[in-house]
Amino acid sequence: MSKMNDKLLIDVGSTYFKLCTPTSIEQHLRDFNKGILDDLKYKCGSTIDSYEKDDVHICSSANGGLSTLIIGLTNSFSLKYAKNIAFNSGINIIETVMYQNIQEYSIPSDTIDVIIIVGGINSNSNIFSSDLYSYLNKLNYSNIVYVGSETQAPALKENIENTVILPNIIDNKLHIIEENLKVYLTNLYQEDIVGKEDIKHLYDITSNQIYSTPYIVNKTLPIIHTKFAVVNPYILIDIGGATTDIHYSKDLVDDNIVTENEYDRLVFKKLGVYKSKESLIFAAQNNEFVYELLTHLKVTENIFQEQSQKATKVLMQLAIFLVLCKMSHYKQAYVNLKLLSINSIVLTGGITKVLSSQEIEDIISFFYKKILNSEHNPVTILDSNYDIWTLGAKGK
Amino acid sequence: MKVVTGVVGNDIHVVANRLIELSLHARGFEVFNLGVNTYLEEFFDAVVETGADILLISSLNGEAEGWSREIKLLKSKYKNLENLVMVIGGNLVVGSADADTIVPKYKNYGFDLVFHQVDLSTGLDTLEEFLKERNK
Ligand code: B12
Repeated sequence: MSKMNDKLLIDVGSTYFKLCTPTSIEQHLRDFNKGILDDLKYKCGSTIDSYEKDDVHICSSANGGLSTLIIGLTNSFSLKYAKNIAFNSGINIIETVMYQNIQEYSIPSDTIDVIIIVGGINSNSNIFSSDLYSYLNKLNYSNIVYVGSETQAPALKENIENTVILPNIIDNKLHIIEENLKVYLTNLYQEDIVGKEDIKHLYDITSNQIYSTPYIVNKTLPIIHTKFAVVNPYILIDIGGATTDIHYSKDLVDDNIVTENEYDRLVFKKLGVYKSKESLIFAAQNNEFVYELLTHLKVTENIFQEQSQKATKVLMQLAIFLVLCKMSHYKQAYVNLKLLSINSIVLTGGITKVLSSQEIEDIISFFYKKILNSEHNPVTILDSNYDIWTLGAKGK
Repeated sequence: MKVVTGVVGNDIHVVANRLIELSLHARGFEVFNLGVNTYLEEFFDAVVETGADILLISSLNGEAEGWSREIKLLKSKYKNLENLVMVIGGNLVVGSADADTIVPKYKNYGFDLVFHQVDLSTGLDTLEEFLKERNK
């Protein structure tokens, strides 16, 4: 057995955790009365004890990421670029504020994890004024980062406490420069996940860095062909307890933003089947096709009140449908994927344990017929053995 | 001075656009060329992000008229564009019409300078004179 295979891989999600050894893979529902470490030790103590700390690799998607509010100048440039970078870093955007109208926006009540301020090419001066500072004074936030015109940076630094100043994300040709903000946000996300008290305790059983699960999954995508018969272009849908993630190849997006990464990722924070069940149902009830879908599945709206295996299945099917809707041209969202060009849809996460490929294919073809009026039928691939996660985790 | 330029709408005639970028540059302007296939909102947004003084739109296939009708409404949504100099040129109608009818129409849409089938260097000379007058 190769050394690499001697690893123990652990993935901590918001609802389940999974353990993968060279010979087995197990999944457990989390006990929320216990800390994660205690729960892990209680359920899998002997497996964990049989590994050295060096051989244990952990990733976590618990807590579903960070929230951001973006303040920028225009929809075509600063706000669009910052939104793009935030999405790709797995950050949940709760509000975008167009600076010229800043006085008209209401103040979000939640604490915002990070505020992003952006606008202007470097030679543009006199962009921000006291309006910005008085708006910020009313907000609750933990971090604040400025990525706009460099001529404005000294004024912002002076007027806003603890502002992190990074290079402008807009260059002098009005093109996007992703890297600095992306690294900053990804690190913040990473720190947030592993900084949570509960996760910190996991360093008792590993001497390796704990990563965020989406980071691991994204690393797998370029090598996915080694394990699955995936035909490009494809999307990968990870439906979890609290969030639904979509990873997709860049060629599925009609956008003139040129970036370096081959794959992007979107997080739908409120589309999970356990922790965010209520908001999933809410989203479903606001979708005009959902009743037809329920009829198609031969159930009624009452299924939302039920607590059964059947109800979980229906919720998962709904989540697939809603996520596809959100990415299609039917709903004008931030990103619209060319869903008619997709050759494969890969599904991973808890969903693969609950739905059969037939049940998934049924929803996908319902979506294509109803929403896109098409007989297109991409091949569905189920990652029921968590190979995607294992590949990425091993590769690091 | 900063100029934002590009070809409006679904128009893909690119040759004039390249020439415009080169000529403006040679005359000492700082040019932000959005290229062909540019929508009105992108033009104004680029003006805001760059702090440009001039917006120079061209249209070759004749679509400009349809777009120009929307300019006043769209521009009214922006708060700091009062001093922007707005210029348009190219083939400003579908088919033919003479400048005497076209120019007042486009001025009414909000353009300061209108060049229907006017040669580029004549047009840019006029622009420079206009800017000189204005800054007096
Ligand atoms: C080449 C060409 C094409 C090529 C374009 C290739 C490319 N990517 O650039 C192709 C074949 C793709 C094409 C397609 C079409 N074309 Co064409 N095309 C031409 C052609 C023959 C030459 C254009 C050119 O490059 N000229 C050279 C440049 C340097 O000159 P210019 O474009 O006129 O620009 C000068 C001035 O206009 C001026 N100028 C331009 N902008 C501005 C701005 C300011 C401020 C100033 C001062 C001056 C200025 O300065 C430039 C230099 O002096 C012209 C006819 C012609 N001889 O002009 C038709 C022409 C422009 N096309 C025309 C049409 C109708 C079309 C199509 C709709 C045809 C169709 N039915 O499919 C499509 C539209 C495609 C689209 N989405 O835009 C018409 C437009 C008619 C109108 N406005 O009423 C023209 C005039 C032909 C005609 N007489 O009917 N076309």
